[in-house]
Amino acid sequence: MARSSSRGKLPLVTLVAILCALSLLIVWFKVDYLHLPLKPQENSELWTIEARIEFSGRRGPASIGFQLPNEVSLFTRVDESFVSRSFGLTLNSIPEGREARWTLRRSEGDHALFYRLKVYPQEGALEQTFLPGDSPEFPEIPPYPEPLASAIADLLNEAREESADIFSFAAQLLSRLANRNDENVKVIRDARPSNEWPQLVTEILAGARIPSRVIQGVSLQDDFIDRPLLSWVEVYNGQRWRGFDPNSGQMGYPPKFYPWTRGAHKVLTASGVRNLQVSYSVSRVSVSQELLAQQLEERLSTGLMNFTLYSLPIPTQEVYKVLLLVPLGALVVAFMRVVVGLPTFGTFTPILIALAFRETQLGWGLLLFLVIVIIGWGVRSLLENLRLLLVPRLACMLLVVIGLMLALSLLSQRLGFVQGLSIALFPMVILTMTIERMAIVWEELGAGETFKQTIGTLLVAISGYYVMNHQLMVHLLFNFPELLLVILAICLALGSYTGYRVSELLRFKDFNRMKP
Amino acid sequence: MFRTWWNLRKQKVLGINARNHLYVMQYNPRSAYPLVDDKLKTKQLALMANIAVPELFGVMRTPHDLVALDKVLEGRRDFVIKPAHGSGGEGVLVIDGTRRDLYVKPDGRALSLDEIRYHCTNILSGIYSLAGHTDQAMIEYRAKVDSVLGPVSYRGVPDVRILVFKGVPVLAMIRLPTRDSDGKANLHQGAVGVGVSIGSGLTTHGVWHNQVVSEHPDFGTHLHEINIPHWENMLLLGARCFELTGLGYMGVDIVLDAELGPLILEINARPGLAIQIANQQGLHGRLNYLENTGIPDNAEERVALSRKLFF
Repeated sequence: MARSSSRGKLPLVTLVAILCALSLLIVWFKVDYLHLPLKPQENSELWTIEARIEFSGRRGPASIGFQLPNEVSLFTRVDESFVSRSFGLTLNSIPEGREARWTLRRSEGDHALFYRLKVYPQEGALEQTFLPGDSPEFPEIPPYPEPLASAIADLLNEAREESADIFSFAAQLLSRLANRNDENVKVIRDARPSNEWPQLVTEILAGARIPSRVIQGVSLQDDFIDRPLLSWVEVYNGQRWRGFDPNSGQMGYPPKFYPWTRGAHKVLTASGVRNLQVSYSVSRVSVSQELLAQQLEERLSTGLMNFTLYSLPIPTQEVYKVLLLVPLGALVVAFMRVVVGLPTFGTFTPILIALAFRETQLGWGLLLFLVIVIIGWGVRSLLENLRLLLVPRLACMLLVVIGLMLALSLLSQRLGFVQGLSIALFPMVILTMTIERMAIVWEELGAGETFKQTIGTLLVAISGYYVMNHQLMVHLLFNFPELLLVILAICLALGSYTGYRVSELLRFKDFNRMKP
Repeated sequence: MFRTWWNLRKQKVLGINARNHLYVMQYNPRSAYPLVDDKLKTKQLALMANIAVPELFGVMRTPHDLVALDKVLEGRRDFVIKPAHGSGGEGVLVIDGTRRDLYVKPDGRALSLDEIRYHCTNILSGIYSLAGHTDQAMIEYRAKVDSVLGPVSYRGVPDVRILVFKGVPVLAMIRLPTRDSDGKANLHQGAVGVGVSIGSGLTTHGVWHNQVVSEHPDFGTHLHEINIPHWENMLLLGARCFELTGLGYMGVDIVLDAELGPLILEINARPGLAIQIANQQGLHGRLNYLENTGIPDNAEERVALSRKLFF
């Protein structure tokens, strides 16, 4: 056996391996890059950040420029939208990244413009200690005016004595700056308005030739409502950036920080308006991962993503949700036939029955199936006496089956069993053929064989039902239709399985026990 | 379960999957199937090659032909009606006598001409055919039981199944009708299968409903050590079917007629595996051996090889 089959099996093994590898590679790509979830109905955090820009018009042309956040690593921008009212909106490239510019020839009264951004933080995004960024030049020592210069020099010297490296130096310096009772600090704090404080902190750090910058962003927390951007200071130690609270000197970024822009510059610039204000609000939306993936795809729309099922209209998607399960059912049938050896009426009849069970629920489905088949069988034996030709007889049986389905539906409606109504979902042609096959098997091979095949059919249908109704399977096949290649590979492997069937182990149980 | 599995491996029992994948698909060219699936074609082919088959009385090809059914049956006391594309003995109707204008089955039930015509109608509409296509009904000679096999056959004619691989008989059994099988000789309908040693032509064990038996379930007669008449001739018939059909792996069904000797009934391209139980002998080892051995071209030499190897 080994010699004749191994030669033929090698290409098959290769083919199976290639199919599996290809399929799993695509799955891995989708999971890793597109963040399609492997498990169904995992709710994930999606954050909506809303910037609300308010101003009053000056009865003249108005132009508002608003810097939009750049791509941030570990955060996926799912969607962004603008509420522009009557303003014209253009998106421009600026040195800092992207900018939205609203313009109106003549603006009057109070206005509010909105920018909404949906971001999806990937795993670990919200707990980062270091944020990636480019490596900067070491800054020149800025020329401070007196008495600022000597106050800064004092502080730098004190901090230097109590620190080991750049980060601990920065921490020391900032905690000293937080002490408002210190004479030096008073001098420094009075030098600039308080909203320029983070910028001043970076300038003080430059005095020690430490690269630092201001970073602005929001905190992805539900209580971040109607607030300005947080201004934080980032310090570079020659390898990476680390955040510091400019007011307290605490190391670290704000909790669940989403950086909007780097630098102390104003995010919002405007001409021709008064009372310009911008405030930010954050809210969490819990969406199913599939929906999230769908939104991601809409935005990414890479070549591959155009081939996902989410690009189809919803009703078609629903059809495919079911259709993609059919190969799985076929796999169950193939397995049951080849490895277990269960006899069934018709090859794929059990899958179609299982699909009907999906709609009717298992218990009701079984009951309705048996009721229809048994009554139909009774009718068929009456028709038998008329000696009808095969095809007209099948047509008659089809009619009888539909009549029975209708009667059952009406009866269950009357009795108040809603489940009875779902009988209409049974494939009637399959029912008809099942009755016909059953009657013939009964006549030809007797009750035992009929019973065996009925049990076999129902067993395969029930296992098919459980496999096809499993949430994980439905989810996997719909989101990763390339898994069909794995099913194909398994079918190929089953196709050349030459081992014994379980049924044969029973059949040959006493084989040659007589001989020693 | 595992012990059974291990025992089957050790005894080299052939399973259905291995049969299909390693033998049926490998040695049986698809183009040869129509020759054996259509019993009419098999019959014509055998006649051309001068191989003895039961005489064909008539063929019903269309419902219109059934009008003339009485002409075909006129004067016949016994005959067999079977579908040309049937399998596993399904749809075979045996009539072994007449009572007034009724036809009597081996179990004593009498059928009118109309009932027989209805049976033919069912055959024509394809109920019994493999793919459900419309079929033809063959009416042919009913073989008479040989006196040696009479005491172990319940109201029917036994037939001999010979499994032929690359033209070499590998395993054989004789199938005896029982009350269960309604006079038919198909194992899954309840006939008893009795293994026959290829070398000696003597029966060994019986298998009935997949169980090993040593006595006929209806008569209680012993099943072992029956010397099958015309054994060499039967093996030769089986071996010659290889040239006839080109099938490397097949089951040849031969009926032993009391007057005419061995007649080829039909050839099966996917023979069942119960023959292993009847012989208490696994097939895989023998097939494997023949796969790696030079096979003579001449049918007589192949039979001699087989009788030497498989004693």
